[in-house]
Amino acid sequence: MDRRKKDSEKTPASKASVVEASPAISASEVFTVNLLCGVGLALSLWVANTIYSINLVTDPSLTLFIISIIELPIVILLYGRYRQNRQRCSYLRAVGRGILGVPIGALLNSLGAIALGAPVTFQHLAKTLNWSLMMSLFTIVPASCVLGSSWADWKRIFAQTKPNGSIEYLICLQAYGAVIGGWFGAWPMPLDWERPWQEWPISVSYGTLSGYLVALVASLGFVLAHRRLQHVKKD
Amino acid sequence: MEEQRRKSGRWGYIWPMWMTLLLHLLAIILFTTGFLLTRTELPYYSHCTDLSNSPCFPPSPNNNGSCWTKPSINRLVIIVLDALRFDFVAPSTFFAESKPWMDKLHVLNNMSSSRPSSARIFKAIADPPTTSLQRLKGLTTGGLPTFVDVGNSFGAPAIVEDNFINQLFQNGKKVVMMGDDTWTQLFPHHFERSYPYPSFNVKDLDTVDNGCIDHLFPSLYEDDWDVLIAHFLGVDHAGHIFGVDSTPMIEKLEQYNNHLERVIEVLENQSGPGGLHENTLLVVMGDHGQTLNGDHGGGSAEEVETAIFAMSFQEPLSSVPPDFDSCTCQTDLDGKNVCISSMQQLDFAVTMSALLGIPFPYGSIGRINPELYALGAGSWKFDASQKLPEVDIWMKNYANALCINTWQVKRYIDAYSASSAVGFSHDDLSRIASVYAQAEDHWLHSTKKLLLDRHNDSDVLVPELKRQIDAYFKFLTTVAELARSKWTEFDLKMMGTGIGIMLISLIFQLYAILRPTKQHDVNLSSSSGNSSIITSSIFTIFLLAIHSFSLLSNSYILEEGKVVNFLLSTSGIVALRQSVIKEKLLIESIGFLLLSTLCRFAIEVGLSKQAATSAFMKDYSSWIANIASDLLVWDYASKVIPMLVLILLAFWLYKATRCGFFDWPRKYVILGTILSYMLIIVHWITDSDGFGVALTAESIGRNYIPRIVYAIALGQLFLLSFGQLFKRNCLDCKTNLVAKTTAMLSAWSPTVILLSGKQGPMIAFASIVGGYCIMRLDNIEESNKNRPGRSFSIMQWSLFATCLFFCSGHWCAFDGLRYGAAFIGFEEFSLVRQAILLAIDTFGFSIILPVFGLPFLVVTKYQNNLGKHLLFTQLSQMYTTYGLITAVISTFTILCVTIHRRHLMVWGLFAPKFVFDVFQLILTDILICLASIYYFDQGDDDLELKSSDC
Repeated sequence: MDRRKKDSEKTPASKASVVEASPAISASEVFTVNLLCGVGLALSLWVANTIYSINLVTDPSLTLFIISIIELPIVILLYGRYRQNRQRCSYLRAVGRGILGVPIGALLNSLGAIALGAPVTFQHLAKTLNWSLMMSLFTIVPASCVLGSSWADWKRIFAQTKPNGSIEYLICLQAYGAVIGGWFGAWPMPLDWERPWQEWPISVSYGTLSGYLVALVASLGFVLAHRRLQHVKKD
Repeated sequence: MEEQRRKSGRWGYIWPMWMTLLLHLLAIILFTTGFLLTRTELPYYSHCTDLSNSPCFPPSPNNNGSCWTKPSINRLVIIVLDALRFDFVAPSTFFAESKPWMDKLHVLNNMSSSRPSSARIFKAIADPPTTSLQRLKGLTTGGLPTFVDVGNSFGAPAIVEDNFINQLFQNGKKVVMMGDDTWTQLFPHHFERSYPYPSFNVKDLDTVDNGCIDHLFPSLYEDDWDVLIAHFLGVDHAGHIFGVDSTPMIEKLEQYNNHLERVIEVLENQSGPGGLHENTLLVVMGDHGQTLNGDHGGGSAEEVETAIFAMSFQEPLSSVPPDFDSCTCQTDLDGKNVCISSMQQLDFAVTMSALLGIPFPYGSIGRINPELYALGAGSWKFDASQKLPEVDIWMKNYANALCINTWQVKRYIDAYSASSAVGFSHDDLSRIASVYAQAEDHWLHSTKKLLLDRHNDSDVLVPELKRQIDAYFKFLTTVAELARSKWTEFDLKMMGTGIGIMLISLIFQLYAILRPTKQHDVNLSSSSGNSSIITSSIFTIFLLAIHSFSLLSNSYILEEGKVVNFLLSTSGIVALRQSVIKEKLLIESIGFLLLSTLCRFAIEVGLSKQAATSAFMKDYSSWIANIASDLLVWDYASKVIPMLVLILLAFWLYKATRCGFFDWPRKYVILGTILSYMLIIVHWITDSDGFGVALTAESIGRNYIPRIVYAIALGQLFLLSFGQLFKRNCLDCKTNLVAKTTAMLSAWSPTVILLSGKQGPMIAFASIVGGYCIMRLDNIEESNKNRPGRSFSIMQWSLFATCLFFCSGHWCAFDGLRYGAAFIGFEEFSLVRQAILLAIDTFGFSIILPVFGLPFLVVTKYQNNLGKHLLFTQLSQMYTTYGLITAVISTFTILCVTIHRRHLMVWGLFAPKFVFDVFQLILTDILICLASIYYFDQGDDDLELKSSDC
């Protein structure tokens, strides 16, 4: 699951990204996007806690599902606005791409999790499914809204970690944050503390969420820093 | 410098490896002597006359032949059933679920339900390590044998400490022994007569038992012995070979039931007044339990819980005073009430000594078990002068026996702390002393007087006695607890030195890796790849660090297979990312990821076997057969698929080596391997009954085919090393290296596959695919061919090797060894031969093949021949890196056992892991040294190639 950030090798960077850059967005917009994502997360946890009176530990499956359901429209609608090639691609199409990205991302994430040791027995099926839905929303769905089917961009952002422009920073950092957070979240699972949260996928979800939250803040900071740097360069 | 290296020839490349081996050996010897150094065995013995130093009453002088306690039995029959699980003996109603192996020894249940006062079942808790030798030692000395003895388990040395058998011998009791020959090794001169049978041939379920039976029944009619020991091994062997839930096991238990019925009948018939067995106690006991797989050695509940059944043929007192009765009662299947008490095995030696009236073993720290002791009370001739009830007299006697018991334990503790440099801590000693003083004080000032005064009535006496006995219990429990927690004595200086040398060796290895790089930087100045080298090295170090630090926790050690696989998959994902960037080798990287996912499932099956869940315990040699073994198709497939895979492997090997560069010795080696593969297939067909090939000469095929395979392998190795001496290669050294590596691997593979059983071909296949993927993925950056740092792929190689260890159904514990593999091709036991086979089985896929296959990583790197010097420098660097990775992991294991040396699981988990890792490290070092001798030629043609190249 770990697409660890490595400085890219000495190969020439992204030849393909000249097509059309995604629209520039302002710092305040970035802030709003991140804030809305964060608020959505908080809202879903609150809903789970007060309305259904459950949390990740008591009913991980349903909680994850609630998170996915609430985050899904937020993420798709928000990121659909920042699609590439605005002229050729309508907002609706971007939303459609995002929805299409959900099962694909879920599949990829669950495969990764299984490769790393997630249980595959039948009673874990629902948990794995809901967890990978959530992961998909954090990793693949924003990218599929924005990038569509442009393989070169996908490769540039996720494999080479060379994001270009604010929105790509958001996508890249948040996806990496969620994945790396989840990866670290798996560590306490084998320990013999016999706490309920050591079950799959609770600790991994905690890791994912905290990684994602850190990435939300970090991406904002990155965007701001990046902007300042460009200003300085211009001067 | 270059000139020097060239002149020094291959030794220039090799010496760091030998140096490392020496350093590691030194470090490990030092550490092990410190860590596994244990309880000091005191050379003192108990004597009859010692009792005058104690405050207790000596036995009345008219009891001849006894000197410490009043003897309550004259003769003792001990029947040891090796690896007797508690649930073999206890009625199934005591457990949540009734299993097929329960209720088979029902004669014991019947006896204890029909005569609750004279026959009783005990749940006996053994102390780990639960190997037979350790348990026999513990049972007879009444002490806590320590881990270092496990090493001696194969060569059973005589017990030098004072023990029960020695006391019998010293006091003129005659002991007859039959069965397991471990007894005669432990007590070479102590038996009046002995009928030993070899104990290590686990495939043989009957020889020892039949021998026992042949001598047991005649002996029961003779009067020339006082103690008879019969040690049956059938259940242990049946467990090792077939597991607990198997027909042979149940047959064995039923057979024992019949024998025990007969024994009880014979004893009963002669138990009348003046009869041969008037005062005989029968003890049927296990020395340890076993897991459902039939393994034992560790400290899990299944392994330490065994049973003791004791029965006297006198009518003893009605019941033990309820204060000392620990039993729980249940109705059995026939609706009768069965009571089961619990005791420590530690208490066995002293209780038996007290019953027979001989001095207690000097080093015993057990306490006399009241219920077991009460079984002998029937023989006391109560003198009429006392007007006390029987129970109170018993209690008087018991209090006095406990007084002697307490005094003896205190004497041992004092002698021990006086003679041993690092004994118990001062605090503990003073705590013991104060508890002892309290008990003694009570004895001297109240109880003794009361006992001397014959005209007390029980109202005064009994509460005092009870208080006295409680005080003694408190002391004895304190001592036993303390001894359990603190018994091993670590020599921290030695351990520290060992760790220090280990660290020095790590630094040395690092130096050996970096040194050639420095030289090459001048030559090649491959600065272009520097950043990628650094990131890949950082990632390698990161993975290595996670793996190493995970060894500091017991949970991660238990699940090491999963941890390693997690890291392997992570490295696979990183490789996938890399290949996405380069847009090539996508299939290889996805394939590698899939392979590691498959490994993961195999490891999980192995782990569940380790947890001994009932689903995976049938077949010790193959987990494949266990998946869905209830389906006939699966059953059939599990037999056929390995053979098909093996044929595929043979075909593959044939195709791969058909091209020209395999000259005469290697060609024969390859042919030999293919022949061996075919022989293995024939062996499996004749071995399994599923094919309807009812061979009459089955036993011949079973032993001869494996032997032929071993012989071919030896011949191949001989041929290769022989060819090494005489051949001057006409090929360029790269092709030569490929040919050598292939030949070496193919020479080893049949033996490894044969020993691994049916899963062998699959794992061989997986390792070929995995090795190929790692090799290819390593080449992903063609931009800097001469990149020296290849640490990432070596790390993957090592992680993959560790994964294979767990995939092939092993784990780092002694019950994870597949003893069955040691007997493929041989029926009888020979220490060296079986140990070598077991080592090849255990480490074949995880050390032998990876180490010899490592040159592939170097060779594929270069499209053109760069000359011998560069190639060999790279190769030696690679071997050193591989050695370093193993050494780092072992160092952390060593640190871990040092940190956790007082941990509860130290003998159950950490020490086995330590032994495995140390063995792995030394084996890796040795193999690296051998491989380096084999692969590095004398550098004759170096100059020409060099000149043509540059």
